[in-house]
Amino acid sequence: MRHWWVWVWLCLGATLFPPVHAAGPSTDKVLNPGAELWNEVRGRQAAPATTQVQGRDSQVLVNEWGEHFRDYRRQRFVRYSGYLLAGVVSLLLLYHLLHGGLEVTESGRKVLRFELTERIVHWLLAGVFLLLTVTGVVLAFGRFVVLPWSGPEVFAVIASASKEGHNLFGPLFIVALLWFFVLFVGRNLPRLVDIYWLIRAGGMLGGGHPAAGFFNGGEKIWFWILTIGGLAVSTSGVVLDFPALVEGRNPLVLALVVHGIAAVVLIAASFGHMYLGTLGVKGSLEGMKSGLVDEAWAHAHHVLWYEELNRKAQAESSAREQGQ
Amino acid sequence: MTVTEFVDGPLWYFALAVFFLGIAWRLVVILANGWRGDLSRPRRSGLTGSVRALFSRFAPAPGIGRRIGLHLTGGYLFHLGLFALLLFAAPHVAFYAERLSLPAWQPMPHWAFVLVSELAFIGLMLLWLNRVLNPVTRLISSTGDHLSSILTFLVMLSGCLALEQAHEPLRVLHFFLVEVLMIYFPFSSLMHAFTFVLSREALGYRYGRRGVPV
Amino acid sequence: MARMKFYCDAERCIECNGCVTACKNENEVPWGVNRRRVVTIKDGERGERSLSVACMHCSDAPCAAVCPVDCFYTTKEGVVLHDKDICIGCGYCFYACPFGAPQFPEDGAFASRGKMDKCTFCAGGPEETGSADEFRKYGRNRLAEGKLPLCAEMCATKALLAGDANVIADIYRQRVVNRAASSLAHGVELQRQKFRATPERERTRTRGSEG
Ligand code: HEM
Ligand code: SF4
Ligand code: SF4
Repeated sequence: MRHWWVWVWLCLGATLFPPVHAAGPSTDKVLNPGAELWNEVRGRQAAPATTQVQGRDSQVLVNEWGEHFRDYRRQRFVRYSGYLLAGVVSLLLLYHLLHGGLEVTESGRKVLRFELTERIVHWLLAGVFLLLTVTGVVLAFGRFVVLPWSGPEVFAVIASASKEGHNLFGPLFIVALLWFFVLFVGRNLPRLVDIYWLIRAGGMLGGGHPAAGFFNGGEKIWFWILTIGGLAVSTSGVVLDFPALVEGRNPLVLALVVHGIAAVVLIAASFGHMYLGTLGVKGSLEGMKSGLVDEAWAHAHHVLWYEELNRKAQAESSAREQGQ
Repeated sequence: MTVTEFVDGPLWYFALAVFFLGIAWRLVVILANGWRGDLSRPRRSGLTGSVRALFSRFAPAPGIGRRIGLHLTGGYLFHLGLFALLLFAAPHVAFYAERLSLPAWQPMPHWAFVLVSELAFIGLMLLWLNRVLNPVTRLISSTGDHLSSILTFLVMLSGCLALEQAHEPLRVLHFFLVEVLMIYFPFSSLMHAFTFVLSREALGYRYGRRGVPV
Repeated sequence: MARMKFYCDAERCIECNGCVTACKNENEVPWGVNRRRVVTIKDGERGERSLSVACMHCSDAPCAAVCPVDCFYTTKEGVVLHDKDICIGCGYCFYACPFGAPQFPEDGAFASRGKMDKCTFCAGGPEETGSADEFRKYGRNRLAEGKLPLCAEMCATKALLAGDANVIADIYRQRVVNRAASSLAHGVELQRQKFRATPERERTRTRGSEG
């Protein structure tokens, strides 16, 4: 190994001055005509193919993505999203059994947390989301979960209804999502306290409640998952709803893959959100129903917001006193 | 008799009868209650007032438009969408021609059908959410009102699920819910579809006579 | 039981589209749908070849694997059929099919595709054999009448073959042997002339001049 540098130079030389025959294909080799034809059929040579029949991708002889799509759908998508959803549900269940929901003793005094419009838009988004989840899940997993129980005739009816419902509610989701975003983005911009909150996992590791503003770090993460995931399902959903927007079938396959993955992530995250909003943190649901939360709840979970509210109320009352 | 036959046959005729007879009965009862004369000396024409009120009430009273913006948008989206769907959706037009022997008119194209359904849906959901989330409307809503909302929602939902028009059970479900709604209609607050005219007329007449601007 | 297969011989197909027309006529396929199509590669260049494609009735059919309502089934003869009463027209089978066989009556907005339609190997569908319903939804059931698919029966050059896989394979093997023999008789030089790939330089030139 004393002359190792010889090897280094040889390797370098080989990369800089490759052997002559690799410079280009020799032209007088007889290619296998069968292989040639097969390459053309597979569309590997980008030779133009033509056909008299008009239609999406009708000039394509062999659809190279077909097998990948099948493999993705049967071997990956259905399996791993099943694992994810089942995993999230059992984690939540485990957490609830071990830890239980959070509760604060009520003070009886209420403060306004969500305006009427905010509540309406939240439930509009939630309602449309639920309808889309149910119908979408039927399309993606119904064959494995519902069909064996219901038989093909009944399942065909369910699936057809799901498809039509899903197609129709999709655009409503986009409207609701954008509206929701405009109403809530201001309160969901990341702040330094959110990082402390997240490091202490919202107090789940003990040591009491870390301070949080109007929304805590976890809620903000959910908001951004919803926004980004929502944009992904929306754009891909629009492509699937209006196939005329794209040419060929590969963009549609891509849209379906993006749509499926983003949807499953959204659904899994929404499970967590729904748990925390109802059983996990008692009193939260009330805030989204009536708009009012208990002062003790506000103090316990969103102390910075609560203090701000108090400051504002004080400023107002002192202004009123001065005015008198 | 299968479920389909029952829904397509007897139940449909029953619903039709209840719907029309019920509405007629309700209106007759209201009108038969009579009109308590207004003894005051008329300042202006009551008739002008009643005509004006019929139309002026389509716009919100000055000053509250902004406050009830969502309610207003939802109301208009839903009602206009519903009428467009009822009258101009292709399957409905075909139904009227076939089952009610009406002359077939030009239905709207499929894309318009879909667009209008979306608008009507979002309108109905806004109305309903406002009803349950707004403390005031929640307080004044009766069980019957909620039932009206839910039934209307179910009718529209089942209609949109049956959009593929390929699976008979979905059409039957939609039709069944329509019949339930028709039977429920005359006995519920859905009667406002007719009575709104009466109440606006009465109010407008009174106001007009007394010189209150309407 | 025979296993049915199609085979299209690229050395014989002359792109007359007779099979496309025969299929459309025999099965009264919906407007805008063609269950079979002829694709030509290198149209007008050296080495031009045409192939007639439709559903190839895969042994392990990808369409059936991805269908969300599982509406495909394979008959005893190896023909892949589907049930239009169950299909919801989602289009997934079209994404997975290697040959683009599934067709949809409309490809309009709002994914309103209608029921999928594809080549049935002239074997009808799940409705009662020979019934009017079967014909309306799936076309003729020629197999039940002891006949083979009309596209292949009509093929003027016998490029398109349909029938028992073993018989077809034998016919094709015979053809290959004959062709090899003839090219041997004419010497290797002929084969070189005929089949040599277009040189890379020339190919880029022609493509460039097209654009
Ligand atoms: C929260 C929102 C949504 C969820 C949870 C969701 C879920 C799903 C799921 C699970 C599927 C089946 C995917 C598969 O089988 O691979 C699907 C398909 C589809 N989604 Fe969504 N989706 C959502 C939003 C949307 C939106 C906003 C649109 C359109 C604007 C849309 C349009 C579609 C379409 C067209 C399909 C294909 C269905 C078909 O044609 O059969 N989705 N969705
Ligand atoms: S439709 Fe396509 S994937 Fe299905 S059997 Fe026919 S060729 Fe194979
Ligand atoms: S279009 Fe029909 S046959 Fe094809 S995958 Fe969808 S439901 Fe199955």
